[in-house]
Amino acid sequence: MTLTSKAYEVADFAAAQELYHANGWTDGLPVVPPTAGAVEAMLEWVGMSADQLIGIEPVRAMPLTAEKLAVNAVMAGCLPMHFPVVVAAWSAMLREEFLLHGATASTGGCAVLVVINGPIRLEIGASSGFNALGNSDRATAAIGRAIRLGLINILDVRPGAIDRSTLGHPGKYSFCIAEDEEDSAWLPLSETRGIPRGLSAVTVMAAQAPRQIMNEWTTKPEELLETFAAEMRANQRHYSIYPGNYAIVVPKQVREHLQNAGWSKADVQNFVFERARIKRKEWADVGKGAVVRDRGESEYAALDSPGHLLVVAAGGPAGGFGAVIPPWLGHKTKAVTVAIDACVDCEPPKKS
Amino acid sequence: MTLRVLDPTNERVAALGTLAPRLVTLKGKTVGFISNGKEGTKEYFGHLAQMLKDEHGVADVVLRTKSNYSAPADAHIADEIRNWHAVVTGIGD
Repeated sequence: MTLTSKAYEVADFAAAQELYHANGWTDGLPVVPPTAGAVEAMLEWVGMSADQLIGIEPVRAMPLTAEKLAVNAVMAGCLPMHFPVVVAAWSAMLREEFLLHGATASTGGCAVLVVINGPIRLEIGASSGFNALGNSDRATAAIGRAIRLGLINILDVRPGAIDRSTLGHPGKYSFCIAEDEEDSAWLPLSETRGIPRGLSAVTVMAAQAPRQIMNEWTTKPEELLETFAAEMRANQRHYSIYPGNYAIVVPKQVREHLQNAGWSKADVQNFVFERARIKRKEWADVGKGAVVRDRGESEYAALDSPGHLLVVAAGGPAGGFGAVIPPWLGHKTKAVTVAIDACVDCEPPKKS
Repeated sequence: MTLRVLDPTNERVAALGTLAPRLVTLKGKTVGFISNGKEGTKEYFGHLAQMLKDEHGVADVVLRTKSNYSAPADAHIADEIRNWHAVVTGIGD
C-alpha cells in the first residue's frame, strides 16, 4: 500500500506528542502516533486504497481521502474495526444537506453528533447504557474524537481558523453514542430514517450540547414527553426559535413507561411535534423583546415535521432522566443517515 | 527507538482564484456589499456605504443579502458581481 502523507522521524513517544501539539494537530490531548503500519491496518480493514476519495468539502473544494481519515482515526485511538463508522460518518457529513462548512465554521459552536445503529455496535463494543452521553466506552469515545481530529487537521477546523465558535461545547472533543436496540421495543433510529433492518448505519447531526431533563413523578406518556417538549421550548426561547432536527435521548426508565403504554417512536414524534412550539412574543419574557416586532402572535414549531425529531434509546437502566439535543441553528443543516458499507463480519484481507 | 509518524493535515491546498486587478481609485465606481444577513451587518454596511460615498467619491453602492448566512452567496448574487467594480463581504457578527 502506498501512503503519500509526509513522514516525520521522532525520537520517541514523547517527542511525537510535542511534534503534534507544536503543529496544532491535536485537540489538546495526547494522540496515538500514526505510524504507517497503524494507518495501513485501518485501510485494510475497510478494503480501501489510501487515495480513495471519500468526498470533497464543496465550499473550499477540499478533498478528503481514506488515508487522511485513517491517520486521524489512529491518532484518536480508533482500532481498525472502528474505522468503518468513521468513514460512514464522514460520507454523511459530506452530503450537501449537512452543510459541513457552515456547521463547523459557525460562531454557534455546534459539534457533530454521531449515532450508531445496527450490528456493528456490538462488534465494536459500543455501549449504549451507563453514561451514554459521556465517557461510556472506548469505541464511541474514539470514533467521536476521530471526527473532531479529522475536522481540525484535514479541513483546518481549528479554533480561530475555520472554527469561529464563540463558545463551543464539550461534545467537540467527542460526541458519539450507540442506540440501545436490545433493551428496547422501538425501531432503531436508522430504520425510522429509511435504512433497512439489520444493516449497520450512522446518523450525523450538527448539534448543540445536551440539555438534561428529569421527570420521575409520573408514568403517563403525555406528562413525560411534556417535559422534553418544555426543554425544546426553552431552547427556542433562549437560543433559537427556528425549526430544525432535534434529538431526544430516552433512557430505559422513561422509555419503559412510554413502551408499556404502547407508544411507538412515531407516537413520540407526533406528540412532541404538537407540543414543542412557542409564540414569538415569548421572546419578550427572556430579554429579546427587541426582535418581537409586530409578529408577537406568530407561532414557531421546533420541528418542521414529526420526522425531524430523532428519538434515540440510550442511557443507564435507572433514573427518570432524558436529554434534548438541539440543532446548531434551525434547518440550515439537516441530519443525515447512511448505511455502513463495510462487512463487519469480515476479517481484514490477508497480506500477500 | 525512533518513530516515523505521518502528517494528519490535508497537504493539498484548495484551488484559489486569482486576485482581480486593484482599483486605483474608488471615485465614480460601483461597490457591491454582500451581507450575510446578520443583525450587525445592517448598520455597519449602511455606515460604510455613506463613508465610501462621502469620503471616497463612490458613485453607487449595491447591497445584497445572502439567503443563508452559513452558506456561500446565492448564484444570482455571484452573477451580479461582474457589474460591480469592487465587492465588500465578510462576517457580520
